[in-house]
Amino acid sequence: MKIIISVLLVIVSLFASDATIDVVKKADSLPSIAIEDASVSYDATFKSKFFKTIAADLNVLTIFNVDKSYRNVNFDASEVLYENKDMNYVLRYKLVQDDARAFNVEMKLMRKNDVVLTKNYKVNNPDIYMFVAHTMAYDINEFMGENPVEWMKRKVIFSRMISPQVSELVVADYTLTYQHVVVKGGFNIFPKWANKEQSAFYYTSLAEKIPTLKYIDLKTGKSRIIKSSDGMMICSDVSEDGLKLLLTMAPTGQPDVFLYDVKTQATKKLTNFAGIDVGGQFLGNDKVVFVSDRLGYPNIFSLSISSGAVEQIVYYGKSNSACSVHGKYIVYKARESSESFSNNTFNLHLASTETDFVRRLTAVGVNEFPKFSADGDAIIFVKNYQSQSSVGIIRLNHNKNFLFPLQVGKIQSIDW
Amino acid sequence: MKSIVLASAVTALLVLSGCGDKEPQVEATDAAVATQAAPVQAAPSVKAPVSSVVAETEAEYMARIEKEMKSIYFDFDKFNIRADMTSNVSADASVANTKASKFLVKLEGNCDEWGSDEYNFALGLKRAEAVKKALVAEGVNASRVSMVSFGESSPVCTDKTKECWAQNRRVDFKLLP
Repeated sequence: MKIIISVLLVIVSLFASDATIDVVKKADSLPSIAIEDASVSYDATFKSKFFKTIAADLNVLTIFNVDKSYRNVNFDASEVLYENKDMNYVLRYKLVQDDARAFNVEMKLMRKNDVVLTKNYKVNNPDIYMFVAHTMAYDINEFMGENPVEWMKRKVIFSRMISPQVSELVVADYTLTYQHVVVKGGFNIFPKWANKEQSAFYYTSLAEKIPTLKYIDLKTGKSRIIKSSDGMMICSDVSEDGLKLLLTMAPTGQPDVFLYDVKTQATKKLTNFAGIDVGGQFLGNDKVVFVSDRLGYPNIFSLSISSGAVEQIVYYGKSNSACSVHGKYIVYKARESSESFSNNTFNLHLASTETDFVRRLTAVGVNEFPKFSADGDAIIFVKNYQSQSSVGIIRLNHNKNFLFPLQVGKIQSIDW
Repeated sequence: MKSIVLASAVTALLVLSGCGDKEPQVEATDAAVATQAAPVQAAPSVKAPVSSVVAETEAEYMARIEKEMKSIYFDFDKFNIRADMTSNVSADASVANTKASKFLVKLEGNCDEWGSDEYNFALGLKRAEAVKKALVAEGVNASRVSMVSFGESSPVCTDKTKECWAQNRRVDFKLLP
């Protein structure tokens, strides 16, 4: 018996850091947290919205058992509410509208009755309250000593199909609570952030005579044309410094991956296969991961920019048509069925370039557009299931998925 | 021609980056609108068919001829032209070289709803390319033919039925001046 336990412990320790192995944490072992609202401004509806947002954020952190009971309290009360006396933590906040109508939040995190963290937040526009909630959750997560959840504070941009050939580009928070249409009307798809600051983005316009890649600077509102190509013109990825793009173009009707230099506007063709090569993603300085049907079905390959050498990197699945990479990990979309005349399922899988393990991350529906957060902590994706479009967040190391449904329309593509 | 209206900017998203920041506004400027393709100009009217009493505009003529061109349908996940579609291609090539000979032909590749990623768009494009090759083989000048893929974003049918999905796996014809 001791030998078996020892072997198991060794196996667990060997794979503890491998995200392709399911990590099942008992929810009961997480510390509990309750939320106390001490707001003096705003109506009940707004206060309820803020409470639900911060509760959802704490839940997505996956480091607490979150008590969803809404309770009011005096901000300066020295003790937590009687109902919360057994909680490990209590988050108490006060929403205040100041004379300039700015939105202020005073926050304190209490462990039993001791205040362990205090922070104040202020934004001019109460309509973006959800970003304050996300930032509060980020700060609490940091205080708890967990890996940073930088992605929680970032914006997502997505294309929403309204009707055939009519779409709009929307900037949102990761929960889709905040939504702002930045390009309305037309047939615009595949938006992609142009830089880390998320101050500009690229997108494909199909309303022109030929597909055209455009760029919009959100600070100035200026729009300009980057490049056009017959057939297809998509910005698949932007390098970390924003100076290089991977484009899918088809100037002769043949979809291939191209490298584009933002400064010189020079274009270099990276793939030459006579089939489909699309969806390039930067991997380090010299490699590009892309989707190709060069084996007779779509699968994931890598390519050396300098030598041109191509290598298959995913060996599981017979139809893998989208991917995202982070370090040694690759998340890809795989078709689980091949039904011409009934529903099909597409799931996301996580593989490692260093082991043979493959972990399925989703179970039902059409799951696509996976993208790692910059730190690899989370994956965002789009799920279409039973006529409902949602944004999904997968917390890899916590083995948890969260879905945030889109109320209107269908998400065509997303970036964060 | 669809126009793009740039909505107002993403306001104050740089949370906590300082309240003094001036929030940018994306204005509906002429510059942005100017990037759109120019409106279709009213070209000189074409000679109306003899039987017409009222002269047809070129746009009306194009729309009428466009309707005569038959969409080409494809099998699931395939981009080869099916045997039962070759007669449609021949008929389309004939129209392209006669009634539509003065126009450019734009082929719009489409897919069913199973995915909206780049690969699905590429599949739509390969369908358009297959039709282009077939048209060229039937004598249509390749330089008159352009292609675009709409992926799954331009369905003619949105029901969850096999008939509907089959209708969406297609290449449509559009005429350009």
